[in-house]
Amino acid sequence: MNNSTLLPHDWFGKPLPPNVLLGEGSWLYSSFSFLHFRSERPCGLRVGRNSGIYSGTFFNLGPEGEVEIGDYCTLVGVILSTNRRVVIEDYALFAHEVVIADSFADIPFGPGEGEGRRAPPTSQTEVIIRENVWIGARAVLLSGARIGEGAIVGAAAVVDFEVPPYAIVAGNPAKIVGWTRPRGNGIESERASSKP
Amino acid sequence: MDLREITGAWDHASLPANVRVGEGCYLERKESFARFRSICEPGLTIGDRVKVYTWTTFNVEPSGRVEVGDDSILVGAVLMCAERIRIGKRVILSYHVTIADCDFHPLDPDLRKEDAIRNAPGGDPNQRPPLVTSPVVVEDDVWVGIGAIILKGVRLGRGARVGAGAVVTSDVPPGASVAGNPAKWVRPEVRADE
Repeated sequence: MNNSTLLPHDWFGKPLPPNVLLGEGSWLYSSFSFLHFRSERPCGLRVGRNSGIYSGTFFNLGPEGEVEIGDYCTLVGVILSTNRRVVIEDYALFAHEVVIADSFADIPFGPGEGEGRRAPPTSQTEVIIRENVWIGARAVLLSGARIGEGAIVGAAAVVDFEVPPYAIVAGNPAKIVGWTRPRGNGIESERASSKP
Repeated sequence: MDLREITGAWDHASLPANVRVGEGCYLERKESFARFRSICEPGLTIGDRVKVYTWTTFNVEPSGRVEVGDDSILVGAVLMCAERIRIGKRVILSYHVTIADCDFHPLDPDLRKEDAIRNAPGGDPNQRPPLVTSPVVVEDDVWVGIGAIILKGVRLGRGARVGAGAVVTSDVPPGASVAGNPAKWVRPEVRADE
């Protein structure tokens, strides 16, 4: 674990919060991503190995917020706003301007702000993104989103439900529009060849 | 001609050599080219009197070619190009409009895992699985609303209108208006010249 508090390339120049762990070989664009980070959990953010967290990504976490990101993940400007738990497993690909948010996602807390301001009640449901998932540009994942292994969420889709493994979902509200792999259990016959 | 008259405060001689710019254009920021990696000749052709504002980005892969016709206005387009994006004359692309001629990752789960590893810090992006591309054509006099996304293989017919936030996955006929995600027809054809 690389637990140094300052990123060598950081233009923002603030130390990382002490409850953030960046794994070996992972890259984070700036401590600016913690501008609205208020997690008081022992580990507010844990990033695995060889993951890239690029410009525009924000970890807007409340006091109870926890985020886990696996190995070989790519996040290009994702906004994560939660006072609960978000899990992103290995090999995730997130395109630009994706938002992951639960009911905590109101107005972010500014730097030094927050004393005496109560966090709004948050959803009890975690957001779980299983291994090898691809999330398209500007998609929105809300509380209750559970994305199965190998699934694809299309550009600008809005998801707050369980997406089965290897499904392709698109639209607002999102619908299953195809599969990335034959499922062998009868489900694939259902709309398997339909297009958005 | 003083280049600074047409490029805001900076000198666009610092643009990549394979960018062709016509007469009377205004390119607000050279940061629009921060992810321009085309090695095509030319990789980007901009017609006459085209305006390219701050939020526009030309994310062009080495194999990509982009053309923009005369009198078009790019307010905040994100052009993600691996093969070819052709934009006609008098086209208006609003804030955060995204046009992509490629999905940029494989649909197949096994290939995609390989893609994630090659694309990660320390990986070799030249070893990524091949991209699947299909050119996008935006014909003359098209308007695209704020935040709309135009996906690969789409042709927006002459004078078409795309509503804010729409996700367009198939061709739009000339003069048609579409909106929603996925985008659907919202009113009968109106000829652009009416």
